[in-house]
Amino acid sequence: MAAPERPSFARREGTFEREPARRVFAGELRETRIHFREGDDEKSPTYVLLPTGERCNRVFLIGTLTEKKKQGEQNMFYRARVVDPTGTFFIMAGSYQPEAMQQIARIEPPAFVAVAGKPNVYETPDGATLISVRCESVTPVEKDTRDRWVLDCALSTLDRIDNMGTTKYGERARQEYHSDPAVFRKMVFEALSQLSL
Amino acid sequence: MDYSSISERISLKVSAKGHQADRTKIEAKLRRLMEEFGVPPQEAERTVLNELARDLSIPDLLPGTAGTAGEERQLRQLTSGDWATIEAKVVSLSSSPSAAISQTGILADPTGAMRFVVWAKANAPRLSAGSWYRFESVVVDEYKGTPNLKIHSGTTIKEISRETPLIPEMTPLAELTPGIGSVRGKFIQEWEVSHDRMLQSGLLGDESGTVKFVIWKEEGKERLNPGTVYSVYYALVDEYQGRISLNITTATIVPEEGDIPVSGGEGEFAGALVHIAPGSGLIKRCPVEGCNRVLSRQNYCPVHEIQPGFLYDLRIKGWLDNGKETREILVQREVTEQLTGISINDAKELAENNPLGMDEVFLRMRERILGRYFTCRGREIDQRILVSACAFQHFEAGEIPTLLNRAGGAF
Repeated sequence: MAAPERPSFARREGTFEREPARRVFAGELRETRIHFREGDDEKSPTYVLLPTGERCNRVFLIGTLTEKKKQGEQNMFYRARVVDPTGTFFIMAGSYQPEAMQQIARIEPPAFVAVAGKPNVYETPDGATLISVRCESVTPVEKDTRDRWVLDCALSTLDRIDNMGTTKYGERARQEYHSDPAVFRKMVFEALSQLSL
Repeated sequence: MDYSSISERISLKVSAKGHQADRTKIEAKLRRLMEEFGVPPQEAERTVLNELARDLSIPDLLPGTAGTAGEERQLRQLTSGDWATIEAKVVSLSSSPSAAISQTGILADPTGAMRFVVWAKANAPRLSAGSWYRFESVVVDEYKGTPNLKIHSGTTIKEISRETPLIPEMTPLAELTPGIGSVRGKFIQEWEVSHDRMLQSGLLGDESGTVKFVIWKEEGKERLNPGTVYSVYYALVDEYQGRISLNITTATIVPEEGDIPVSGGEGEFAGALVHIAPGSGLIKRCPVEGCNRVLSRQNYCPVHEIQPGFLYDLRIKGWLDNGKETREILVQREVTEQLTGISINDAKELAENNPLGMDEVFLRMRERILGRYFTCRGREIDQRILVSACAFQHFEAGEIPTLLNRAGGAF
């Protein structure tokens, strides 16, 4: 007789598992508007659904910080724009992200920056959706690292596109966004073409 | 399904009692139970044996048949639900966790070992560690997923004399299963204790793998020395959330001469460093021999209190992330120096001559490594890598064509 199988819940349930930081081009994140909570608990993590079919609680991106703006008096916070080969990320850091805020304060644009943070979807009163990244850290990096990220992000994005037909979130992305994989392949192609120039 | 081995076992038992059993009939019954009714093999065997015992009036064919003390068995053969008579040695006693229990510990015979419990209501004589006893009519049930012997008011206990030395079989660490186990392992890592009542915790390693162990504070318990090889006899093997750990508080622990090879558990992971945790950079360690704990800002060691004679060290704690998975990395001094280009002496100087003190070292290190790509190698435990080698990963233009082909394949 075969050895009894371990119950599947015994594997990792209850142990802390850090959410991976997804690699997403600005061109894809801009199209993201579905967000949801996984689990019933108030503390269950929230995710956005990437159009290429992956849930995403954290992102890691590298681009050029082109503009930063300090806002608010009592609750001061920074907004900034970070540009990659496919578009613009909107990032922000407030008093709950003191480390990131201090980092942004010291950066003189333009500069290559590596950003780790959480994506948030907002709805404007006129019904449009905006997505911005609440930063955990914003670190100046070299061009070499930025180029490494473009390759990394291209690879991750292509992997997601190729798996769209086989995963739960791929299926959901198809239904919610009517995503056309060709559009995102083209985006990746163009991002890579800029590197080789 | 193979019915012949079961039917053979049954017919042997029957013939041992001087009766004849028809094997084709036995097989037919087994087949009917298992195929038509989906009865598991063990249960089917039991059912058939029971039926035969009744038909042939053999009272003690089955363990647990009413009116008997259960046949004499060896520990390895016992499973949950059995009634049995055993002869075994008390190899360890632990403090009783509840008033309903008068004694608890581990029994062993040459075939194996098992936890036992003596109920307070059993009115049993006190067992002493190291003695052999004959237990008539004990019950086996399951406690936390492992077999456990219950000594109850119906159990007869007799001390017996046995000279047989027990030599428990050593189990490779990777093959431990919940219950009792004996292992030989090297104390490869000491961890900070997470509880007041904990004396020591850390990691044992052998060629097959590593396992976490814990020793709880009890009278006469001593701490183990990191780097030493130990033989640990009759440890409690627990499973929690799918992970095996050893409680060696009541185990017999013998330090061994020499060294043993410790398994790889060696892993490699590549990704971006997305977070550097507090406690990275320049740190102070407790100077007390064998302690080495990290001191707080006030030079306070959780065990040895204020230690003005601290020792400086460098390390990085952080998270590597490849977009799909993450690993916590723990980088020791040498590799930290090499990655950040800041030596321990540079770091001390920075800390001493700067208004931000040790924070300045943290900030400078963060500037150089956060957000960069690395390949790290080292011993991997759970999701954590103790980094022994680490290198920056750079942009490779050679990767572009393959990616372009993949992206362009659709147009």
